[in-house]
Amino acid sequence: MGYILNFNLIWRHFDKLWGGLLLSLELAVISIAIGIVIGLVLAVWYVSAGRAVRTIIAGYVEFIRNVPLILLVYLVFYGLPTVVDIAYSAQTSFIATLSLYSGAYLVEVFRSGLEAVPRGQLDAGKAIGLTPWQRLLHVRLPTMLRITLPALSNTFISLFKDTSVASVISVPELTYGAQWINFNTFRIVEVYLVVTAMYLLTGYTLLFALRLVERRFKAAR
Amino acid sequence: MLSQIIYALPFLAEGFAVTLWVSLLVVVLSLIAGVLMGVGLVYGPAPLRWAVRIFSDTIRGIPILVLIFFVYYGLPAVGLHLESFWAAVLALTLFKTAQVVEYLRGAVGSIPKGQSEAAMAIGLTFRQRLAYVIFPQAFRRFLPPWINGVTDAVKGSALVSLLGITDLMQAINQVIGRTYEAMPLYILGALVYFAVNYALSLASRRLERRFSFIRE
Amino acid sequence: MSNASHQNPALLDVTEVSKAFGSVEVLRSVSLQVTRGEVVTVIGPSGSGKTTLLRCVNFLESYDSGSIRIDGKEVGYRETGTRQRRSERDLAAMRAETGMVFQSFNLFPHLTAAGNIMLGLRKVRGKSNAEARTIAEHWLGRVGLAHKADSLPAELSGGQQQRVGIARAVAMEPKILLLDEITSALDPELVGEVLEVVRSLAEDGMTMLMVTHEMAFARDASSRIVFMADGGVSAVGPPAEILAAGFDNERLRSFLARFRASHF
Repeated sequence: MGYILNFNLIWRHFDKLWGGLLLSLELAVISIAIGIVIGLVLAVWYVSAGRAVRTIIAGYVEFIRNVPLILLVYLVFYGLPTVVDIAYSAQTSFIATLSLYSGAYLVEVFRSGLEAVPRGQLDAGKAIGLTPWQRLLHVRLPTMLRITLPALSNTFISLFKDTSVASVISVPELTYGAQWINFNTFRIVEVYLVVTAMYLLTGYTLLFALRLVERRFKAAR
Repeated sequence: MLSQIIYALPFLAEGFAVTLWVSLLVVVLSLIAGVLMGVGLVYGPAPLRWAVRIFSDTIRGIPILVLIFFVYYGLPAVGLHLESFWAAVLALTLFKTAQVVEYLRGAVGSIPKGQSEAAMAIGLTFRQRLAYVIFPQAFRRFLPPWINGVTDAVKGSALVSLLGITDLMQAINQVIGRTYEAMPLYILGALVYFAVNYALSLASRRLERRFSFIRE
Repeated sequence: MSNASHQNPALLDVTEVSKAFGSVEVLRSVSLQVTRGEVVTVIGPSGSGKTTLLRCVNFLESYDSGSIRIDGKEVGYRETGTRQRRSERDLAAMRAETGMVFQSFNLFPHLTAAGNIMLGLRKVRGKSNAEARTIAEHWLGRVGLAHKADSLPAELSGGQQQRVGIARAVAMEPKILLLDEITSALDPELVGEVLEVVRSLAEDGMTMLMVTHEMAFARDASSRIVFMADGGVSAVGPPAEILAAGFDNERLRSFLARFRASHF
C-alpha cells in the first residue's frame, strides 16, 4: 500500500502508446484481410474438393488452432529463416503469422457458413440457369457472408487483442509501448491501467461499430 | 543435430510437466471460481450481477499477455508479492474464470424457466434446485465447450515463459539458445502442444455427439 | 360469511390480494376461500389473472398487497406486520404444502418417471430411497403408469407426462393441489385420461384449485366456480348456476357465449 499513482510520466511518453495502438490496429486489419482471402479460398475449395485436399486443409486448421500463438510467432520469425533462405522484418513476420492464424479460424467460420446456405436458394439459382461459378458468386457467397458476419466481427476483435503477442519479437505495438514505458519510467501500475483502458475502449468501440454494421446488413435483407 | 535434441529431451520433459501443472491449476481454480461467479451472474441480486458482468467483460476485453504483465508487475506495487509462477497462474485463472462464467451462463440460461418453477413447487430450496434439477441438465451443455476451452488454458500457459518460468515454451527457447537448432525444436514443441490440445478437442466433440442424443 | 364456513374454516384464504406488473394491474383485490375437500375452478378470458392468482398461492409470483393463508399461515411473507419476504427455507417448506401441476408438464427430463416423483420425497420429506420408491410406484399405479416407472419423460406421450406431473405433485401429500390449465398443451384425444385422474383425486377428497378451459369438466367436478375478469372476481357460485346461460352477469354471459361459439 501507500503507492501513489502518478500519470505524468505516462502522458509524457503517450506517443509510444498512441503509435502502438495504431500499429496494433494496422496489424489486425492487414492480418484479417489476408486471413479472409485464405479462409474463403480454402473453405470454397474444401466444400467442393476430394478427400485428400480436405484432409490437408483440416490438418492446417487443426494445427494452427491447437498450438499457442506465441510459438507460431517464434517459429515463423526465428525458425523459418534458418531453413529457408528468406529475410523479413519482425513486423512482416508477425503479419504473416497472424494471417495464417486468422485464416485457419476463418476457414471453419466460412465452411460452416457455406453449409448453412439453404438448399432452396441454390436450386433457385440453378433454375434460372446460373453456372456453378455464378451460383457461388451471386448466391452462395453473399448469403454466407451475411450469416458469418457476427463471427467475422468476433474474430477481428480477438485478433486485435492477439496483436499484443507481437511484443515478444519487439514489434512496437501497444503492449510493447507499455513495456518500453515500464522499463524506462517504472510507473508500472499507471502504464498498465492506461493500456488496459486503451484495449478495452478500442475493443468495445470496434464491437459496437461492427454490431451496427451487422444490423445494417440484416435490415438490407 | 539429432543427438543434441535427444540430449535435451529430459529438460524439455520437465518444461512440459510445468506446462501441464500450470494448465491443471488454472483449469481447476477457474472452474470453481467461474461456476460460483456464474451462479451469481444468473441468480444473484442486481449489484452482484453487475459486478460479475463488469469483471467478465473487462477480463475478456484485454489481451492475456497484458493481464499477465499487469498482475506480475502491478501487484507488488500495491503491496502484494507473488512469485512469478503464482502471478502467472493467478492471471491465467482470471482470464479462464471469465470464460467459465460465460459457459455457465449459457448452459443454465438454456434451461426452461418451468424447470425451476416445478422444482420450487415441490418445495426444493435454492441449493437443492441447483444441485438436483438445474446443474444435472446444464452439465451436458456446459461440458463440451468447457473441455474445448481447456485448450485455451494450455495454449495460454505458453505465455508464462515471458515471466521466466521454465515451461515447455521457455525450455524450448533455452535449448535453442544452446544448440541453435531453432526449427526442429519449434516443430517438436508445436507437435507436443498439438497432441495435447487435439486430444482435448476430440474428446469435446465426442461428448457433444453423445449428448446430442439426449432429448428434452 | 355463512354459518357453515365458521364450523369449517377455509383451508386456503385469499384476502384482497392485488398485484401489478409495472402499470398493469393483473390482480385487483381478489378474495377467495377454499375449504377442505372442495374443488374450486377458476374460469375467465385470457389475461383475467387466473394463472397469476394460482401462482401467487404457492408464491411462484409475489403479490403487492393483501394476504394468502393456507391453514392459517401466511404464504409468502413473515407474519410480523412489516411484509417481509419469508426466507428461502421457509418458502420451500410452505411450497411443499401445496402441489402444483403445470400446463407444460415441466417434468425433469434427466430423471425417470419414478425419479421425478422421488426427488421431492427424498430431498424435502427426507424419505429413504426405498420408501420414496414405494410411494412413487403407488402413485404411478394410481395414474395408470406403473409400467412406466423407469421411462424418461421423453419416452412418454403428453398425456402420460402430465399424469406423472400429477403423481409428482400429490405424492408430496400437499394440503391443496393447484392445477394450471393442465390439459391445454395436450392433443384432444389425450385430455380424457388426464381429467379422469383429476376426477378420481377429487372423489378421494383432495382439495383443489384449478384453472381450466374444459367447461364440461368444470361443471361436473367442481364444488364452486369462480369467474374472473380484468384481474378481479366477477362471479362465484355453484357450477350449475354460474354456467347457466341466464346468470345475471353481462361479462360472464359474453364470455360463455364466445366460449361456446369457439368450442362447439
